[in-house]
Amino acid sequence: METGKQGTTLFTGICLLIAVLLIIQIWLLAASLDAALSGQARVVVPASIASAVLFAVNAGLLWYVIDFDRRRRRMDTGA
Amino acid sequence: MSDAPRWKGDFPVLWDEDHYVTRRELAKFLTLGSGTLVAATIGVAVVGDDIRPHGRFQRQRIDGAHALTKGSSLLFRYPTGEDPCLLVRLDDGKLTAYSQVCTHLSCAVVHRPLAGELFCPCHEGHFACADGRPTAGPPERRLPRIVLEETAGGVYAVGVEV
Repeated sequence: METGKQGTTLFTGICLLIAVLLIIQIWLLAASLDAALSGQARVVVPASIASAVLFAVNAGLLWYVIDFDRRRRRMDTGA
Repeated sequence: MSDAPRWKGDFPVLWDEDHYVTRRELAKFLTLGSGTLVAATIGVAVVGDDIRPHGRFQRQRIDGAHALTKGSSLLFRYPTGEDPCLLVRLDDGKLTAYSQVCTHLSCAVVHRPLAGELFCPCHEGHFACADGRPTAGPPERRLPRIVLEETAGGVYAVGVEV
């Protein structure tokens, strides 16, 4: 049974996790830009792939948040 | 009797529900930011080779280069009129040239012939005249080197090596 209190705690943890991954993505972007400007093109593609993987993880976490919210609403309306 | 004002009873704020909604919306906002960052990183990968100015340099004569004595330097602009560079004649007579823009925070470096170095006065960055590599201070990358071509007719700048 999903409750609002559970959701708040869960979402706080998920937000923190997404924020950490976001900081890594910012670092990847800065490193890519630096590498591109100094002509080290071989760094840029792996950085893009890593960033895409992190985004996929974030999207998965968001999907879990949305799914939790949907189940909770369904429970609240008694459907 | 409670000390809480009456309006709180009339207009209660459901804090638990409020926190629930704000956390949920924050998760959405952060994921949107994550998507923007991955798009920007892929954008850099796609256009990265084009934002770097290479392979399109003009051949430009540097006036007064032949008159440089050992240990002296000359300011010129290359590849555009907004890119200051320093042409240095080393003690062994060899000519070398670098961008004058410090790789730390873009201040202008100056030539110090006695020390055989290029010096950035903003944060005390030192670069070797011989190869442009940082020798002391905050800079971590070497100065971009201007590729020179020496002919009987003069000295020409023909490219930039980052």
